[in-house]
Amino acid sequence: MRAAAFALITALLAGAATAQPLPFDLGGPFTLIDQDGEIRTEVDPDGQMQLLFFGYANCQEICSAALPLMGAVSDVLADDGIAVRPVMITVDPDRDTVETMGPALHAIHPDFVGLTGTEEALEAAYAEFGIEVELLFTDPAGGGVYSHGGLMFLLDGDGAVQTILPPVLPEAQVVEIIRGYATPTG
Amino acid sequence: MRYLTALFACLVALPAWATEGERVQIRGEIIDTWCYFSGVMGSPESVTGTAHHTCALWCSAGGIPVGLLAEDGTVYMVLRIEGDDGSASGDTQLRLAAHEIVADGILYQRDGLNYLVVEEVVEDLGITNQSHLDFGVVPPFAIPDPSGN
Repeated sequence: MRAAAFALITALLAGAATAQPLPFDLGGPFTLIDQDGEIRTEVDPDGQMQLLFFGYANCQEICSAALPLMGAVSDVLADDGIAVRPVMITVDPDRDTVETMGPALHAIHPDFVGLTGTEEALEAAYAEFGIEVELLFTDPAGGGVYSHGGLMFLLDGDGAVQTILPPVLPEAQVVEIIRGYATPTG
Repeated sequence: MRYLTALFACLVALPAWATEGERVQIRGEIIDTWCYFSGVMGSPESVTGTAHHTCALWCSAGGIPVGLLAEDGTVYMVLRIEGDDGSASGDTQLRLAAHEIVADGILYQRDGLNYLVVEEVVEDLGITNQSHLDFGVVPPFAIPDPSGN
């Protein structure tokens, strides 16, 4: 029954993408460092669409839902020749370093890109996407637990925001929404 | 089935897409959208109201966007509430968890979803859905055991 309902929803959403404006002015330039120590901006080096989330690699809260969803969506779309790169900008640069981010994110998906940077560079990125980072409390077992916004952003290859996506949506629905913005590459 | 109906109502917005937001006034309950849609903690009825209040606080604090479950079953993804510039975690989102409110704001429909920017909470009736009478605490582990067990 649930599968049938999702299929119906998927059918109703087909072709629903739009270029109409978002409610807010979101996105903009950033210059950060990826898990390989390379400089990376909002522009994807291969011109791929990007699914961006602000979080931290070992987050047990919303990231534990959003990051695997991003990887799964990337896989489904790749099978259809639509390349979407999952990207996370850290809100906890003390734990998410160039050395530690890669393994944690690649355990979720091999193509995951993790970005960190100087405090100034990260603050600039947060400001562009309306992200407010706040330390909520410190878990004795896991370290700091942060408030950091809960939406995913779909960017085009140039880094322009196409739309926002709540990570509570079913995987199939996220796939269909992104598909509406995509130009097949495969 | 009610779960699917509610999900359907949330996901299917009007076919025509609004370029500009529409001012609306909606009465409903502020909900934890993750537990409501994922079904991981139980039925939709059990993850609203008093039964799920504590878990809703944890989820919102952890970044789960809050929603407004309207009386007709439509769920609006809340992007902002009054002074709190976010979809989760803010003082206002936490204070209003599980509360029945009347929200005045701007509705945006995009990608088949309903997004709501709440400009003013016109009325805050508190937690009116006494769901704990039917379901207890959902999930039970939402309230930490003071003994540590």
